[in-house]
Amino acid sequence: MTEGSLRTPLAKVRGLGSAKNGTHHFWLQRLTALALVPLTIWFAFSVASLATADFPTVLAWMRSPLSAVLMLSFLLAGFWHMKLGLQVVIEDYVHGEWRKITCLILNNLISIFLALTATLAVLKMLLGG
Amino acid sequence: MSQAYEIVDHVYDVVVVGAGGSGLRATMGAAQAGLKTACISKVFPTRSHTVAAQGGIAASLGNMGADDWRWHMYDTVKGADWLGDQDAIEYMCREAPRAVLELEHMGLPFSRTEEGKIYQRAFGGMTTNYGEGTALRTCAAADRTGHAILHTLYQQSLRYDTDFFIEYFAMDLLMDEDGVCRGVMTWNLTDGTIHRFRAQTVVLATGGYGRTYFSCTSAHTCTGDGNAMMLRAGLPLQDMEFVQFHPTGIYGAGCLITEGVRGEGGFLVNSEGERFMERYAPSAKDLASRDVVSRSMTIEIREGRGIGPNKDHILLHLDHLDPAIIEERLPGIAESARIFAGVDVTKEAIPVLPTVHYNMGGIQTNYHGEVVNLKDGDPDSIVPGLMAVGEAACVSVHGANRLGSNSLIDLVVFGRAAGLRMADVVTPGAAQPDLPKSMDDAVMARFDKMRHASGGTSTAAIRDKMQRTMQNNCAVFRTGEVLEEGQKLIDDVWAMMPDIGVSDRSLIWNSDLVESLELDNLVRQAVVTMHAAANRKESRGGHAREDYPDRDDENWMKHTLTWFGDDGKVAIDYRPVHSYTLTDDVQYFPPKARVY
Amino acid sequence: MVEFNLPANSKIKGGTTHKAAAGAKNVRDFKVYRYDPDSGENPRVDTYEVDMDECGPMVLDALIKIKNEIDPTVTFRRSCREGICGSCAMNIDGTNTLACTKACDEVKGDVKIYPLPHLEVVKDLVGDLTNFYAQYASIKPWLVAQTPAPPDGERLQSEAERKEIDGLYECILCACCSTACPSYWWNSDRYLGPAVLLQAYRWLVDSRDEDQGERLDNLEDPFRLYRCHTIMNCTNTCPKGLNPAKAIAEIKKMMVARQV
Repeated sequence: MTEGSLRTPLAKVRGLGSAKNGTHHFWLQRLTALALVPLTIWFAFSVASLATADFPTVLAWMRSPLSAVLMLSFLLAGFWHMKLGLQVVIEDYVHGEWRKITCLILNNLISIFLALTATLAVLKMLLGG
Repeated sequence: MSQAYEIVDHVYDVVVVGAGGSGLRATMGAAQAGLKTACISKVFPTRSHTVAAQGGIAASLGNMGADDWRWHMYDTVKGADWLGDQDAIEYMCREAPRAVLELEHMGLPFSRTEEGKIYQRAFGGMTTNYGEGTALRTCAAADRTGHAILHTLYQQSLRYDTDFFIEYFAMDLLMDEDGVCRGVMTWNLTDGTIHRFRAQTVVLATGGYGRTYFSCTSAHTCTGDGNAMMLRAGLPLQDMEFVQFHPTGIYGAGCLITEGVRGEGGFLVNSEGERFMERYAPSAKDLASRDVVSRSMTIEIREGRGIGPNKDHILLHLDHLDPAIIEERLPGIAESARIFAGVDVTKEAIPVLPTVHYNMGGIQTNYHGEVVNLKDGDPDSIVPGLMAVGEAACVSVHGANRLGSNSLIDLVVFGRAAGLRMADVVTPGAAQPDLPKSMDDAVMARFDKMRHASGGTSTAAIRDKMQRTMQNNCAVFRTGEVLEEGQKLIDDVWAMMPDIGVSDRSLIWNSDLVESLELDNLVRQAVVTMHAAANRKESRGGHAREDYPDRDDENWMKHTLTWFGDDGKVAIDYRPVHSYTLTDDVQYFPPKARVY
Repeated sequence: MVEFNLPANSKIKGGTTHKAAAGAKNVRDFKVYRYDPDSGENPRVDTYEVDMDECGPMVLDALIKIKNEIDPTVTFRRSCREGICGSCAMNIDGTNTLACTKACDEVKGDVKIYPLPHLEVVKDLVGDLTNFYAQYASIKPWLVAQTPAPPDGERLQSEAERKEIDGLYECILCACCSTACPSYWWNSDRYLGPAVLLQAYRWLVDSRDEDQGERLDNLEDPFRLYRCHTIMNCTNTCPKGLNPAKAIAEIKKMMVARQV
């Protein structure tokens, strides 16, 4: 709140009004969290079982359509969830308006970048070359 | 004065002092009438003591059996021991159902009957058919009715265009030479500034003065500031000798246990396990009116049938009630008893004692809430610009003894009446005269003197002496001898005031100074209460004289008026009791023996 | 950024100790936060030795005894002393609660008394609740209905419908819960906080109210409502045993229900 402002307390509280969103974010965060439960278990199990495998074995595993789809789901849900979660952390703790917006933009861009990179890696393995 | 105080000026059509039930209702009424309204309170509105009322609010809705406002009126007249003004009582009882329905329409969360209507319970002295049966008349929101009412009224106040001045302490009325009230001087605790409010009408809704006693159910803030402002303005207070002792304050802590406990089937027992109220009030038993029950308990204790190692209290049983009923209807009581008496009410009885609870006396008004004064032989001469509502006022609907659940209805009916009256008589935006500086100076001089008081006796020490004197010498039973001693002792307390010492000199949230100003208010009221009690030589309602055990209608069917001079002298005169009703819909109830 | 360290002018300096009267046998130390707005000096913690044999059972009794007998300048709000007015909310022994219903016996060791956290301190234990009250006003805490009320009767409400607002309407606005919530500490300018959301829910589920949708619209906001991260401090600290966290969860459920 602005120091020395003569606006009424109620005007300050009402501020810019309701953003009319928030539920979508809340819902997606829960949805991705839910999806990540089985996906993470699958991922951990797979990594563990492939721990001693050589590269061609892993590549072959990755090229099975089931593995590829699950891997893509895991990565996209994971980065999406990360982006949503980090957004909340930034909104909670980063206060100055410009600093906050910068953080939110970076969060979005980095999340998208990481998601795209990971997707490309999976596709590259799947489609060979 | 040690310094010149800068005074911030405000001009309003109406200024209400106090934000309890009656103050908020009056504020709302004034705002609805299009008047520019300010409400000033020394506490945030929902901290006012209305919040602590438990059992309910009386209105003859008849949701749970036949009822009639005339029956309610008869009960109130009888409860008041015929000292109430019957025109005002008629107004209250007739308007009660409408006032309660208004509260419901505002959203008040009343408990409900099976049909979805407002739940009503039995309460002391509330009967059907002029004393024949038990009336279910007291509308309840579990046992938190006062809380529900106060919060509802505060919520409503947020809807209207009203200015609230919260944590402003009202110091004194600004009265001009013609005896017209022109405003009120206040102190903003938060930043230490002084604010003068000019108004066409000032409404005092400042509550009772229970804190004159050592043990009371009243909040620390119940210091009757408005009453004391009246006395300082040279105006009298009415019927101050009538102090209600609630039968069931928690032994030791003094916290209230609602009469609704007995309304739901609870009962009192003595050390012999006897339900002694059957002896004192064969028909109403535990639901006799409060003065009767408090006296009976005092007699039981005095005759050696009290409970505990010192045989000094009584037990209130509700452990025979269905725990589900307690959970639903009396949850707050269960909580209070657990915290303050260490008692599980479903298994054990609550130790209780009659405890100071309510002041029937206060600022004399007509049923519109306008302050009246005995002037040139006219007992109903109106003090221009001044109104009073709620416990601060003495309309008088409660006479010598108030019935349980009649205080909440008093608040809303007369708060509303005051609003309606102001709509009629106050012109929005009418010009107001400038006030001479001397008027401010007088108030500020008193404030400044107290702020820099450097005597040798602490505020707490004087307060303790006053409270113990009132507790010992102006109790449930009174005698000439004890009251005479009490007069001397309480006059001595007043004489201690010049030696008061205040430690905090700040203007910001100086609670030491607030308590000292409140003490000054309390002592004045304590003195007039004691003198009025010594003066009234009869027994009536809450005023029980052992040397004059009977009611004396021939000599004492009249209201006491008491003035208090700064020299500590009390002057006494009288106003007649209104022996007429407002309309022909009901006849005057002539006095008769008061048996429950 | 959120400040995790106190600003320089809020750092607590040492205070004075007020000894109990000689001969007192059952002495306990009360450590009370003091801030004097006139001097503007940094706050301090004063220690008061209180003879518990001559003192009532509650922390408020001890504070009043200190004010009456030791130091009349100690400043705190109080009124009903029976847990219904909500004036004497403060931080006692690390927990927000009402001084009038908190027994000294429940505290082990010294009794440490501070104002409610993360409020501007006006003086000693008195915090500034202006923003809290404005937030309460902002949710329109009154009945909104277009259907006129019956002229000669109440709006009907079944016993079951009335039960819906049990555990909600009892709130005393003491602000213990909101000022115990870390999310409210960081974002009280935009997050409504548990007390106000509990009241918002009280009106959302009142069967007589006709404004559910509008009320939800006003809460549909990443800050007003969704700063609640189910930390649960609110429910743990409520001196009246209410459950604001559950009320907030119910509001979120309503929000989702009207979208899916």
